[in-house]
Amino acid sequence: MADGGSTAAAAGTLLGTSRRRRSAAARLGRGAVPYALIAPVVLTIALILGYPLYFLVRLSLQRYGLFELIRHQGVDIGLANYRSVLHDQIFWHTLLRTVVFTAANVGLTMVLGMLIALLLARVSGPVRILLSSGLVLVWSMPVVVAVQVWAWMTSYENGVVNYVLTELHVGDYTQHEWYGSTFSQLSMVTLLIVWGALPFVAITLYAGLAQVPNDLLEAAAVDGAAGWRVFRDITLPILRPILLILTSLSIIWDFGVFTQPYLLIGQSKITPGNFLMSIYLFEDGYFKSDYGRGATISLLMLVIVGVLSVVYVRRMVRIGVET
Amino acid sequence: MRTRTPRLVWDAVGVAVFVVMVFPVFWMISTAFKPNEQIVSLTPTWIPLHPTLQHFRDAIHRPYFWVDVKNSLIIVSVAVALSIALAFLAAIALARFGFAGRKLFIVLVIGIQMLPQAGLIIPLYVVLARYHQVNTLSGVILTYLTFVLPFSVWTLRGFLLGIPKELEEAAMVDGSTRLGVFVKILLPLMGPGLVATSVFAFITTWNEYIFARILLNDQSKQTVTVWLSYFYGTSRHTDWGALMAASTLTAVPVVVFFLLVQRRIAFGLTSGAVRG
Amino acid sequence: MKRRSIVAVCLAALVAAALAATTSGATKKATAASITVWLQTDAQSGWPDLVASVNQKFQSDHPGVSVNVQYQSWGDHLQKFDATLAGGGGPDVIEMGNTEMTKYMAAGAFADLTSAKGQFDNSANWLSGLAKSGRYGGKTYGVPYYAGSRVITYRTDLFKKAGIKKLPSSTAQYVADAQRLLAQNKKKGFSPLYIAGTDWYVAMGFVFDYGGGIATQVSGKWKGLLASPKSIAGLTAFKNFFTSVSRASKTTDETHPNPYDVYAQGQAASMVGPSWFSCCVKPYSAQTAQFVMPGHVAGTSMPGFLGGSDLAVPVTSSNKALAIDWIKDFTSTSSEKTLQAKGNIPNATNLLGTTVNERAAARSWFVPTAKHWVDVENGNILRNMLAQILTGKLSVKQAAQSASDNIASVLNQP
Repeated sequence: MADGGSTAAAAGTLLGTSRRRRSAAARLGRGAVPYALIAPVVLTIALILGYPLYFLVRLSLQRYGLFELIRHQGVDIGLANYRSVLHDQIFWHTLLRTVVFTAANVGLTMVLGMLIALLLARVSGPVRILLSSGLVLVWSMPVVVAVQVWAWMTSYENGVVNYVLTELHVGDYTQHEWYGSTFSQLSMVTLLIVWGALPFVAITLYAGLAQVPNDLLEAAAVDGAAGWRVFRDITLPILRPILLILTSLSIIWDFGVFTQPYLLIGQSKITPGNFLMSIYLFEDGYFKSDYGRGATISLLMLVIVGVLSVVYVRRMVRIGVET
Repeated sequence: MRTRTPRLVWDAVGVAVFVVMVFPVFWMISTAFKPNEQIVSLTPTWIPLHPTLQHFRDAIHRPYFWVDVKNSLIIVSVAVALSIALAFLAAIALARFGFAGRKLFIVLVIGIQMLPQAGLIIPLYVVLARYHQVNTLSGVILTYLTFVLPFSVWTLRGFLLGIPKELEEAAMVDGSTRLGVFVKILLPLMGPGLVATSVFAFITTWNEYIFARILLNDQSKQTVTVWLSYFYGTSRHTDWGALMAASTLTAVPVVVFFLLVQRRIAFGLTSGAVRG
Repeated sequence: MKRRSIVAVCLAALVAAALAATTSGATKKATAASITVWLQTDAQSGWPDLVASVNQKFQSDHPGVSVNVQYQSWGDHLQKFDATLAGGGGPDVIEMGNTEMTKYMAAGAFADLTSAKGQFDNSANWLSGLAKSGRYGGKTYGVPYYAGSRVITYRTDLFKKAGIKKLPSSTAQYVADAQRLLAQNKKKGFSPLYIAGTDWYVAMGFVFDYGGGIATQVSGKWKGLLASPKSIAGLTAFKNFFTSVSRASKTTDETHPNPYDVYAQGQAASMVGPSWFSCCVKPYSAQTAQFVMPGHVAGTSMPGFLGGSDLAVPVTSSNKALAIDWIKDFTSTSSEKTLQAKGNIPNATNLLGTTVNERAAARSWFVPTAKHWVDVENGNILRNMLAQILTGKLSVKQAAQSASDNIASVLNQP
C-alpha cells in the first residue's frame, strides 16, 4: 500500500482508526477501539431517546391525563397503573390474541421468505431482476396506500377479490364481508402484513445466500448430495445468524404492528374483541389521553416482546461469542 | 449427474410469484391512469383502455410537491448514509471484538426496537422542542437515525458473523494491515449485507409518516409522505385517482435506488475472495 | 476505487447535512410578528380564497403581523395538538370538531372567550347545537365556525321510473317507495336507500324522532337513556327501516365504502349523508337532487346530527388578543356568507337560507356534552350495538340495555 498513505489516513480518519488514534489505542491496548466504534451509535441513541425513556418510566408511575399534560405536572400514584393494567381482563385476552397473531405472521413470513429467496437464486438473470424489482416495488409502497388498495380489493361492494371469486365460480362471493368476524379481520391483516414483509426477508436472505461460497455448493453437487441435504447441511448453518436476526426482528415488529390492523379493520370496527397489543396501547393510552396508562402498557409490551424473542436473541449473542 | 429442474420451470414459477405479489401495486398504478368513472365502477377495469394523465397532473400541481420531494430526499439520504456508516462501525465492534459492556450494548440495540413507537411520540417531541429541533429537517433526521440504527447494527452484525474470521486472519498473515483487510476482504463480502440494510433504511425513512407529521409544521418543510396525507386527510371526498398517482410517484425514488444498488447483490463475490 | 467511493459518500452526507441545517433554520417562536392558525384540509380544498382574503384583511388591520396557516388532517391533528400542549410550539387558533371540544375544555386547554363573545358577529344567534359545543362550566371557549347536516341525495330518474311521483313525507312512505324501486332494479346488492349498518348518526336520528335519547345528566350523574321505551321504539323502527331499504353491510360504517361510490356505481337509488355528497356521483350528476329526510310522523323531518367545527384559542398561545381578532374576521357575516355559498351551514340562525342542507338543520340532535363522550365514540359502543341488533346477535332490548349501561359507566368516569 505504497501510495495508500494519504488516502488511507483520510479513509482512516473517517472510519475512526487514524494513525493518531491507533497509536493511542496501541498504548491503551486494543481495548479502546471497540468503544470508539460504538460511541457514535450510543451517543446518538442516548441523546434522542435518553430523556424519552426516563420520561416514559416516570409517566408509568403517575396519573397523567390531558389535564396534567397541559400543566406539565403529574400526580404520583406508585404502581397503581401497573396494577390496573395487569388486572384488566382485556390486557390478558389481547396478549394471547397478539401472541397467536405474531406466531402466524412470523411463521408465514419466514417460510415464504426463504422460499422466495431460494427461488431468486435459481431463476435466470432477467427474471431475477424482474422478481426482485417487483419485491422492491411492493416494499416501497407507503403502508397507508397499501392498506387502501387492499381495502378496495376486498371491499364488500364488489371488490376485485369478490368479483374474481364469483366469476371463477368458486362460489357466490357478491357482497361477501371479509371484515365481519374477528378471525376474518385478523386473517386479512395477516395476509397484508406478510405480503408487505416478504420483500425485506426474501431480499435479505437472498443476500445471505450470496455469502454461501459457490465452491462449497459445487463440491457438494459433485459429491452427489441432493438439494435438500445441501440446503440443510451447508446453506442453513451459514444463514443461521441472518435467520435468527430476521426471526427476532419479525417477532418484534409483528408483535407491535399498528398501522395495518388499525387502518384495514378501520377504527369503527375496533373493539376490545379484536384488539392487538399496539392498538390496545393506542386506544387505552392515547385515545383516552391517559398517558400514564399508555406509558405503562408501552413498558409492559417492551418486557413481553423481550421475553418472546429472548430465545432467538440469546442464540444470536452466543454465536458472536463463539467466533 | 442427477437431473435438475430446468431453469425454465423456475423462471415460470418466478414470474407467477411476481404476478401475485405485484398485483396490488399494479392495481395502484393502473388506478392512477384510470378515468374517475372506472375507479369506482362495479365491474373492475383491469387495464384502462383510455388511460388519462390527469391524475398525475393533479398530483404534481398540488402545492409543495417538489419542495417536499426535495425535503424527503435530503432527510433520507443523510439518515441512510449516516446510519449505515455508524451502524457498520458498531457492527464491527460487536462481531469482531470482545469488550466489557458488550452484552449491555446488545441489549440496548435490541431493546430500542421493542419500544412501541406510539409511546414515544410525545416524549420525543418534548425533547426535540427543548433542543429547538422541532420543525427542522435535522430534528427529523436525528429521530430517524435513532429508529434505523438499532436495526442496522443488528443486521450488519449478522452479515459480518457470516464471514469466516479465517479469511481475515489469512490476509493478515499475508502481510495486510487491518485497514487493508477491512477494505479488501470485509467490504466486498459485506456488499450484499450493506445493500440490503441500506435499502431497508431508505424505505423505512422514505415512508415514515407519524413523526414527520408531528415534528414538521410548515408545509415547505414537510416530507412527501406528509404531502400524501393531504389527499386523504379531509373528511370530504378523496381524490383516489390523484392519490394513487401521487403514491406511484413517491415510490419511484425507492425503486430507482434499489435498481442502482442491486448489482451488488450477486453470486461470485465470495468465490473471488476465497480464491484470491 | 472502493476507498474513494466511501470518501465520496461521506462527503456527500456532510454536504447534505449542511444543506439540511441551513434549510431548517431556527424554530420560529410565536412572537407578535406572526400568529399560527390550524385549519383542517377541508378549508384548503374547499375555500382557500376565503382564507386568503381573511388573512389579507387581518394583515392590513394589524400591520407587521403575518398569519401562518397550517392545514391538519382529522386523523392526527389531536395527537399533534397534544404534543404541542406538552412541548410548546402550538397554534394560536385551532379548528376543532364540535364533538372534540368538551374533552379539551374540561382539561383547560382553551382560553376563556366569554368576555370577548359579544365581539363576534351574530353571536346572539349562534346555532344552538354548535354554540353548546363551545361552552363548558358556564364559560365560552369555542366560536362556531360552520355546520353540516344530513340530507337524502337521490336519483330523480330512478324515482321517476319507479312511479314515485311525490317525495316520501314519512319513513313508512319511504318503505313503500323502496319496494317499488326494488321491483325496477333487481341487481343483487341494490339499495333503494343506502344506509351503512353501523351509521349511528342515522340510527340515533330515529331514537330522537321517537322521543328517546342517548344519555342525560341527573344531579351531576349521567344516566343512559337508550333502554327507555321510547329509545327502544326508535331503535326497532331503525332496524325495520334498514332491513327494508338498505342492502349495505350490517357491520360496516358510513365511510367503508363511501356511500357516494356505491351511488356512482348505480347500486343505490338514494343515500343519506352530508349535502356535499352530490359532488362525487359523476355518471349521475345530472339526475341527482336532494331532499330532507322525513321522520316517522308524516310531514315532519328526521332529526339530523348537526356536525360542525368550532374555533378555539389554546391556553398556550402568547397572542390571544390577535387570535381573537383573526377569529372575528374569519367568522364575520361576510365570511359566513362565503362558507354558505360553498354549501355549508353558517353559524347563526339569522343567516340561514333555504337550501336542503339548512332546512334539514332545523330539527337536529347533538351528543351529550360530557367530558368522556369522545371515549364513547372511540370505543364504538353505539356502532357495536347497531351491528348486534342488525345481525340479530342480540335483541334490541338486550343490545340497548348493554350499550346504555356501558355509556353511563364511561361518561361517569372521573
